[in-house]
Amino acid sequence: MNREAFKKYLQENIMILDGATGTQLQKKGMPRGVCPEQWVIEHREVIIEVQREYIQAGSNAVYTPTFGGNRIKLQEYGLGDKVIEFNRKLAQLSREAVGDRGFVVGDLAPTGQFVQPLGEMPFEELVNIYKEQVRGLLEGGVDFFVIETMMDIQEARAALLAVKESCDLPVCVSMTFNEDGRTLTGTDPVTALITLQSLGADAVGCNCSTGPQAMLHIIAAMRKHAKIPLLAKPNAGLPKLVDGNTVFDMAPVEFGKHVKAFIDLGVTLIGGCCGTSPEYIEQIRQNIAGLKPLLPAAEKHGTAVSAVTSARKTVYIGFDGPLVTVGERINPTGKKQLQAELREGRTEEVVDLALEQVDDGADILDVNVGMPGIDEKETMLQVIEALSSMVHVPLCLDSSNPDVIEAALRIYPGRALINSISAEKTKMEKLLPIAAKYGAMFILLPLSDKGIPKTAEERGKLVEQVYCEAQKHGFNKQDIVVDGLVMTVSSDQQAAMETLKLIDWCTHSFGCNTIIGLSNVSFGLPERSLINAAFLAMAMGRGLTMAIANPSDEKLTNIKKAGDVLTAKDINSKNYIAHFAKDEQIQRAVKDNKSSTAVTEQIYDAIVKGNKESINTLIDIALKEGSNPANLVDEHLIPAIMYVGELYDQGKYFLPQLIQSAETMKKAFEQVEPLLRTDGVKTAENKVKVILATVKGDIHDIGKNIVGLMLKNYGFEVYDLGKDVSAEEIVQKAKEINADIVGLSALMTTTMLEMKQVIALAKEEGLNCKFMIGGAVINEHYAQEIGADGYARDAHNAVKLAKKLSDTN
Amino acid sequence: MTNMKYFEHIPVQAAKGMILMRLGYKKNRTVLNDEQQRVLDKGIKQGIRLCQPKGVFGRFNIVQHSQSFIELQNQQILRSKNLSLLLEKSDEVVLMASTVGKAVIEKISHEVNEGDAALGVILDAVASQIADAGLNWMMEFIYKIVRREGKKLTKHRYSPGYGDFSLENQKVIFDMLKLDRLGLKLTEKFMLIPEKSVLAIVGIERIEANE
Repeated sequence: MNREAFKKYLQENIMILDGATGTQLQKKGMPRGVCPEQWVIEHREVIIEVQREYIQAGSNAVYTPTFGGNRIKLQEYGLGDKVIEFNRKLAQLSREAVGDRGFVVGDLAPTGQFVQPLGEMPFEELVNIYKEQVRGLLEGGVDFFVIETMMDIQEARAALLAVKESCDLPVCVSMTFNEDGRTLTGTDPVTALITLQSLGADAVGCNCSTGPQAMLHIIAAMRKHAKIPLLAKPNAGLPKLVDGNTVFDMAPVEFGKHVKAFIDLGVTLIGGCCGTSPEYIEQIRQNIAGLKPLLPAAEKHGTAVSAVTSARKTVYIGFDGPLVTVGERINPTGKKQLQAELREGRTEEVVDLALEQVDDGADILDVNVGMPGIDEKETMLQVIEALSSMVHVPLCLDSSNPDVIEAALRIYPGRALINSISAEKTKMEKLLPIAAKYGAMFILLPLSDKGIPKTAEERGKLVEQVYCEAQKHGFNKQDIVVDGLVMTVSSDQQAAMETLKLIDWCTHSFGCNTIIGLSNVSFGLPERSLINAAFLAMAMGRGLTMAIANPSDEKLTNIKKAGDVLTAKDINSKNYIAHFAKDEQIQRAVKDNKSSTAVTEQIYDAIVKGNKESINTLIDIALKEGSNPANLVDEHLIPAIMYVGELYDQGKYFLPQLIQSAETMKKAFEQVEPLLRTDGVKTAENKVKVILATVKGDIHDIGKNIVGLMLKNYGFEVYDLGKDVSAEEIVQKAKEINADIVGLSALMTTTMLEMKQVIALAKEEGLNCKFMIGGAVINEHYAQEIGADGYARDAHNAVKLAKKLSDTN
Repeated sequence: MTNMKYFEHIPVQAAKGMILMRLGYKKNRTVLNDEQQRVLDKGIKQGIRLCQPKGVFGRFNIVQHSQSFIELQNQQILRSKNLSLLLEKSDEVVLMASTVGKAVIEKISHEVNEGDAALGVILDAVASQIADAGLNWMMEFIYKIVRREGKKLTKHRYSPGYGDFSLENQKVIFDMLKLDRLGLKLTEKFMLIPEKSVLAIVGIERIEANE
């Protein structure tokens, strides 16, 4: 069956698939724990009987019993070298079972491994693993393929590429979704549909996952943008284990009642998954009687969309939605730090730039790593890997090298946007087939081997020329975005108008999306951002749908938001209102904060707000204005930090604020302390001495370090002995400095016992200091039990306790 | 081992609410000004970037089930009455480990000791949350697998150090999951290095017909 015949069949017929195979085999005697593929080959009559029962019940197609027929799964039984043989034989058995009464569908299923970076499996290796299985199934004579029960879009992509690179047979991909409507690795149904249909699947759908009712929601989500038939194979309700056997809670008749709803949503391949049997298929047959297959919705209603995807998100591009911003900053040109990191094979800066741009509102990220001195292909792959696990937005793959684009598209776990394909002969010849193979959208650059045409009319002709070629590869107008080719107005003042005319023509005559890179237009002029912003507004007025820009340029992003309102793309001005209402709140908050005027008030304020940057300057000013250092401490610094303590106690401040204020206090104190004479404030000579240590065997010291920091900032003299400190060392140091308090920390149950040893040894040695303890597993009761003087649950309480203990010392 | 699955980068989402809770943030009470909010958001982002969440899980049959311990294959014994009670309906367990790697721990230590301690505690909370989220992600994955078998997971997971399930048990789990492969080490006192690495055990139960 070729792809055309498959398409035609489903335009005219609803194809009934089979039901569960594994449970049917078990019912007929397959024991647990055996390799099903091997058992079936050794008991050929059983699978023949099962599949004939399905055909008898109404199935038009049966899946080959090769769910675990890939090398990785077979290897679990030591049969990794039997892949081709087993798959060939199993496909032949299915053929023998159904003869010419049904189709034999080559079944590929998960390997159980995850592709890098989630797992350890290199993408290409996974493609090859599936290719091996595909070869066996082809030798066995399957009619088409199904890739089923996929939990990870990247594994589904690998299997799909394996089939498509091995043969021209039709291939369906069926994902399995969690109760939250996403696959295990986070892909939603629409994103799965767009990614897989772009990559060349002939049908997409869902199996397993849930019973029919919940699966209807998944299919409904896919329906709107489906250009290809949809497939559904629900379970017979939800599974339960009864007497060691898995049973499902939905009876065949009830299952059958949902069939019409699936067909009404455009499903043309329908069967059953776990828990179903020929009785369920019989119900499907009865319930589709008289029903006609629906055309894929996108075809029927003309609702095909321009959309790109990541593994977890779809971004729509078009005249009805807001302008799509493509973040331009992942580009080493003029960025020394980024260049240096890319040369060293590091991606931290790339990830930073990505996260910042997404935060600032980028919908898609342009990724360009072209620079001298690096392997562009390797770097691009590394960056895609890093970004696909850190950000959810789709990527725009930007390179002038077709090999880089191809390698990137192959591993990119979604539908990417290529930047760009021009009318240059070699570019078109190389890139159009690549873009088509991976189903990417592309930016059409209207320039040719003769250069950049000056007028919009000439550029329009090139657009038509490239599109004409692209159509031969199966592209339509939804798949392209025309670049307006922005030239500099300072050298040719007509340049901007020509770009605007081209946008207008694309929008209103030709009918495709447009994009511009903004910054070029203002080159050589002062106040460039004004020119850029004005140009963006004008282009949006002509119908621009995308812009490559720096999303942290506030002027541009604000113009975009306003433009979306004025072009009626931001429905009910929802995004605009949400954004600026938040801004107003922030402005109000900033205003409220600017209350204090006198410098001493500002010092108090800086401590309370934890403003480390300004505290030293403020104290300088106060001192120059004649403030007394002791008064500064007693009347402003200490009251401020006490107030911070109160705020923390009341829950109005949380830990980072407490620490921020304490650190600000520390900076202030370090500055003022040398100026203090004595009176009233404890100086180095009369400070309370505290030893802190994380006890022997324990390596967790963050809590103890925070306590140390807080104690220092509250005027204690802290001797931090570090972590994994022995009882002897602690006691010796306490003696040496004549410590007032010893603070012990332990995080674990195994190490808290060490605290008792320390206190016991201290008593033995006649030490006269107080002991306070803390740590995740410690409580007041334990403190009493081991003879400590107190327990503090956190850093703030440690300060309070230390004060209490030092007052009683 | 075929029954173990290693994840080189678990795609966890750090729940900001949980991070704030770890830092003592109280909804409708804690007040942050604009600058503090900025520092917090920046810290959270930095923490997410520094964490390299990896994990592994493995399924193991319970060979023997007594009131005070459970025995897994290869005579591996986990001692705890509470754990034994949790697993009373289970024939099988899942052992799991999740870690966020060294980079974030080094950064926390640097910030707390000689940098910006407020940032240090924010990073600390992010790292703890992501390590836990790694376990949650794996549990969701395992649940999906066992659900297909008509089974479910116990309501809770249990970790060494909880109640009477002493920390010494970390050694058993460490060895069974071959955690050195994730770059982890166990100290003499059974602590995991790097910090912000967590182990857990959850039971697999059958779903009763009347559920």
